[in-house]
Amino acid sequence: MPEPRQTLRLGVCGPVGTGKSSLIATLCRELGRSHALAVVTNDIYTDEDARFLRSAGVLDPERIVGVETGACPHTAIRDDVSANLAVVEDLEERFEPLDLVLVESGGDNLTATFSPALVDAQVFVLDVAGGGDVARKGGPGIERADLLVVNKTDLAPHVGVDLARMVADATAARGGRPVVALSRHDPDSVDRLAGWVLDRLEALRAGVLEPQDPGPMPAHTHHHTHTHDHDPAPQTSSAGAARA
Amino acid sequence: METPTGPVPSRRAAPAVPVAGASSHALALLLADARLPVGGHTQSGGLEPALQRGLSPDGLPGYCRTRLATVARTEAATAVVTAYAARHGGDLDLVHAHWAARTPSDAQRSTAYELGRALLRLGRRVWPEDPLLAGWSLPTARPLVLGAVAAAAGLAAADLARVTGYDDVQTVLAAGLKLAPADPLQAVVWTRQLLPAVDALVDAVHGLTDPADIPSGSAPQIEEWAQAHARTTRRLFRA
Repeated sequence: MPEPRQTLRLGVCGPVGTGKSSLIATLCRELGRSHALAVVTNDIYTDEDARFLRSAGVLDPERIVGVETGACPHTAIRDDVSANLAVVEDLEERFEPLDLVLVESGGDNLTATFSPALVDAQVFVLDVAGGGDVARKGGPGIERADLLVVNKTDLAPHVGVDLARMVADATAARGGRPVVALSRHDPDSVDRLAGWVLDRLEALRAGVLEPQDPGPMPAHTHHHTHTHDHDPAPQTSSAGAARA
Repeated sequence: METPTGPVPSRRAAPAVPVAGASSHALALLLADARLPVGGHTQSGGLEPALQRGLSPDGLPGYCRTRLATVARTEAATAVVTAYAARHGGDLDLVHAHWAARTPSDAQRSTAYELGRALLRLGRRVWPEDPLLAGWSLPTARPLVLGAVAAAAGLAAADLARVTGYDDVQTVLAAGLKLAPADPLQAVVWTRQLLPAVDALVDAVHGLTDPADIPSGSAPQIEEWAQAHARTTRRLFRA
């Protein structure tokens, strides 16, 4: 049995503008003094997110690397992870020992999730400004990512979203998987996020973290009262996933 | 708790099982498939900087022909010579030196090393029994790795050259659909028109065995664009 890898590879995905880069900057601020971190960004135009993170001053700029995706941010984190994997391995070798490599997906849409060939665990990020009904719509990331973050909770009163309702919808969609309602201005919520990440790191090192694939396709979920029969859930396959 | 419907693949490789020999033609299809997870979607074959610096979208077929006569020909010939050396105990370091000497742009060499690294990862997984791939200690220049994969797989020299030339055309034309949007069917029309040029490349290189005979027709403008592209901060494609 090989030794478990010591560096947690954590994916951060979700629609554009929900605060993925900001969440990563928050984690760097929160964990950067106690843990060794590096970041990989995937962007439409190379290094927008990498530059944002470098300018935020939360991490040594050399530990932040942008990957080109050829306008295929989906492909780069799921169907063909080779470019990302090479950068992750290079960072782990160059800055050994690393505790955490954060891989940020290009902000795309509700269906993009990471392949378990690239990350050990993944966070799907929504925000209240995207509308209170998004969590209810579901999708692979919302339903089955290891953690769902409902971000920018401080904005809820300003955008007419019932935060408690949105979090309740998200929790119901996830069948017990964790949800963190996050605002970077709310230290308790940041603590919950950082605590979850450290818990996953501990699980990895204990050899009990098996990467889960949220799947490329939305599963049929069961929030409504049944009046009809269901066919067996279709088996999803990454081989059949459309390229972004 | 809801059970995920998706598969939960493990990082652990499946145990190796004996595989019956496949034809060289079938192997060529496998290696020419754009879905091969070796980072092809990050590449434009130098088209992105070419379009930014004045190449007209109408010039895509001509751009492909130029590559087939120059940089792609060097790459295909290097792959063919590498496969021969791999089968006959030749000096792969020498092949690498000949390729590097004919690839003066360090940006293009870096790209080849990145792509070859991904291809080596694939080759080791798909042909785990091959000692050359398993013990690879050379720089991972893509044409060398491709030649070694061809030797491991049993791909004939002509098919190897054809895969290399065809992949170059498809890399450029597929990237063209992202960079200068057009009807995707037009890219297929152009591909068909370019197939004779791919065959001409095959005829020119498939019989090579000596690294000294690798063609060295370089393309200074493409090389200059590659150098410039490596220093930009706003780009869709790695190269």
